[in-house]
Amino acid sequence: MSREPVDTRRVDAREKVTGAALYATDLHPDQVAHAVLATATVGRGRITELDVSAAAAVPGVLLVLTHLDRLDLQSPGFIMGGGYGVQSMQPLLDDRIAYRGQAIAMVVAETLTAATEAANLVHAAYEQEPFAVTLDSPGVERLSQPAAIPLPFLADLDVGDAESAYAAAALRVDATYDQPAQHQNPMELIGATVFWRGDTLVVHEGTQNAGAIRNGLARQLGIDAANVEVISPYTGGGFGQKNSLQIHIAPLALAARRLGRPVKLVVSRTQLFHHTSFRPASRHRIRLGADEHGRMLAAIHEVEHQTSRHDLFPLMYTEITSRMYGVRDFRGRQTFARMDTQSPGFMRAPFEQPAAFAFESAVDELAYAAHRDPLEFRLANDTTVDPISGEPFSSRHLAQCLRRGAKRFGWSARQQRPASMRADDGSLVGWGVAVGAYPGSIVPSAAHLVAGADGRIRVEVDGHEMGQGIRSTIAILVAENLGVGVHRIDIVIGDTRVAAQHLTAGSWGTASTLGAVQAALRALREQLGADATGPVDLAAAVRATGRDHVEVRAETLGPGQTEQDIERARRGHPALSGPEFPGYSTFSWIAHFVEVRVEPSTCRIRVPRVVSVADCGRVASPVTAASQVRGGIVWGIGASLREAGEVDPRYGGFLNASLEEYPVPVNADIGTLDVDFIGEPDLRFSPVGVKGLGEVSMVGVAAAVANAVFHATGVRHRRLPIRIEDVLAGASPPA
Amino acid sequence: MAATASTGVGSAHELDLSCTVNGEPVRVRVDTRESLLDLLRERLGVTGPKKGCDHGQCGACTVHLDGRRVVSCLTPAVQVSGADVTTIEGVAGPDGELHPLQQAFIDHDALQCGYCTPGQIMSGLACLAEGHAGDDDEVREYMSGNLCRCGAYAGIVAAVRAVAEQGR
Repeated sequence: MSREPVDTRRVDAREKVTGAALYATDLHPDQVAHAVLATATVGRGRITELDVSAAAAVPGVLLVLTHLDRLDLQSPGFIMGGGYGVQSMQPLLDDRIAYRGQAIAMVVAETLTAATEAANLVHAAYEQEPFAVTLDSPGVERLSQPAAIPLPFLADLDVGDAESAYAAAALRVDATYDQPAQHQNPMELIGATVFWRGDTLVVHEGTQNAGAIRNGLARQLGIDAANVEVISPYTGGGFGQKNSLQIHIAPLALAARRLGRPVKLVVSRTQLFHHTSFRPASRHRIRLGADEHGRMLAAIHEVEHQTSRHDLFPLMYTEITSRMYGVRDFRGRQTFARMDTQSPGFMRAPFEQPAAFAFESAVDELAYAAHRDPLEFRLANDTTVDPISGEPFSSRHLAQCLRRGAKRFGWSARQQRPASMRADDGSLVGWGVAVGAYPGSIVPSAAHLVAGADGRIRVEVDGHEMGQGIRSTIAILVAENLGVGVHRIDIVIGDTRVAAQHLTAGSWGTASTLGAVQAALRALREQLGADATGPVDLAAAVRATGRDHVEVRAETLGPGQTEQDIERARRGHPALSGPEFPGYSTFSWIAHFVEVRVEPSTCRIRVPRVVSVADCGRVASPVTAASQVRGGIVWGIGASLREAGEVDPRYGGFLNASLEEYPVPVNADIGTLDVDFIGEPDLRFSPVGVKGLGEVSMVGVAAAVANAVFHATGVRHRRLPIRIEDVLAGASPPA
Repeated sequence: MAATASTGVGSAHELDLSCTVNGEPVRVRVDTRESLLDLLRERLGVTGPKKGCDHGQCGACTVHLDGRRVVSCLTPAVQVSGADVTTIEGVAGPDGELHPLQQAFIDHDALQCGYCTPGQIMSGLACLAEGHAGDDDEVREYMSGNLCRCGAYAGIVAAVRAVAEQGR
């Protein structure tokens, strides 16, 4: 049996380049009606008058749903509070306005045009109440995290005596860093196509968590989860925003039931800035101490971030900052700042991006205080042991990432003194380095394989394809294992009809899903009587069994997990283990090297090149993995130089609620991106040797950019994003 | 092409429209407030063009109007009367053979989630036809009307440049 060469190109690329890939709101079932939301125009208060008569009178309008209809819906619960929803507060149920932009009506019409016109005619009057929308607003309520949520993984971190060690240190840095609110803005707008087939609710929505949608809708509507089907084969980018049940789906289901026809909603880009989650603003005070030789002795990371009045979105910033270096004495404190917004949530590297910006900027400041090269300083403070647990890391090749990256970048030509390097055109040149880490997690996963006598194999599995390439990693694993071509492999994911569909997030998707697929492949080989390794002639082996197909199932768990975790996953709840496992801790690691050029008169910052080297264990899919890291770098450039949700404390909400005023990186913003991998499998963490990649890829980029801007200009910027006006304010007259 | 004869609403804002979409004649009654994008997606079932912003800020809805690239969300449907509209569905050959740019997008992994890809390819074709693919920086500039949140820009530049080089 010969082995077909493995085509490593993205397996669903053909559908995507031809327009054949159907996303949730590309569907247009017969008789589909269109929904549009109307939203609140005050920062907080109560609806005193709601007049939908003009809206209802628009020709073609079928239904206007508001709280006056006494909708029979329960709260879905907050995804991080034992529930399923993007927030616990379900709009349209009462007259309360918790935040500007909250939905107050859902209009359904024969056409999108009519629904849009009618939604604009919904008239509301409000009794307004004072509100708080920034970390500095009066009226913000502060809560210590361990007091509010006494769970072990959210506890304060205290190892050694960091305050004393810091006080006694010869070299100290004490600085505060600000991270603004940011918005995920996946290109696919959030939306759904929903209909009833008898008593069964069918939901097509681009999601990272079909399981939560299914179980959350069951809770909201009071129906059996077995009567909810969620189908999401393609998600047009998620980045954390699509990781739970959105607030529009249950009202859509009610509308579809009342009308007896399918209903589709596409939430507008502007509404998305208030409709769903966002990265909360956070403020980080970092104190670092080192001895006169540059040996880091103490680190103290105190952080607060915004959350809503109705939910506590946890803080997990110190999880990585306590593990980046061999610092013996560490103290972490995390505090909620409750205010009047929709609930914030996960956005790519939700805690790690802001944490690494703050911490790795402070490390750079400390390196300069110690008169040490920032690369050499980092290498000198490396560790093989997790300072928090005292256990070894299952793998940590961070020093190798730094050394290899430095070589590729040409770091040895760097001059230490800030503002000492210039380009031919007069631009200030800055070179910065920073590292990143991301916790390793594994979740329960199930795989179902069906091998046919036609030589094809069908893989049905937990997991969602948001563009990260999970389909490609599955295809490559199966192709390499059995020696079949990827074109003979059919993959079904993001579909509650084939598996529970645990949340795909936190960079655990590939390791978890591939674990289940590998276990199923082993079972398949046994069923077929094939050798444990080597290519298999599937068609012949299946025919030899006398059947037209052979199917096997496998369920896998993370290290230390039990049947209870499988049950949690079946009920649509996150069930993850990690990053601390019995006997070891697991993190992915990365080093970024960034060149910036600052044009001296306009102070415009450009990023002509970035070198990033990642330790993500074995690289499961070389093509899509490299794309993931390049994408992470682009996100890091956006985070450092472009993206902020602008808030006016007088009005509430986000002011710049469009892609024009919330700029994300465009093609011309991105220069040369040089990506490499260490590629050492981590078999202690995962039987397939894979660690997470999607999020670690952006962790540290913003710090590397900020450190490069410091190197170029001699001015330290501690608030993101760094904009022209910030550089201008710090610029001295040209020499 | 099959199309609903009218919007079904009977609004006072309706006009009859004839055009071609991917070479097929279309006769349809449109609401004068309807965008070309909504006409294609919601009435004609042509869903390759995507809605990413509805404000001309992201480029996901890019189509060709008489060979010129436009953002279909900012193009009133009535404006395409008598025009030839080409979407991503009209780019591959009759037997499904991919256009070289589509193949280059696959070969250079110029996509991730795929949602912006139809618009990127329509813009990329125009970029090539306009003669704006001479070097990487020029492609970056002329492809900057099309956002890719996944950050596949490096692959997009490589794909457009590869086809430009083939055409030399």
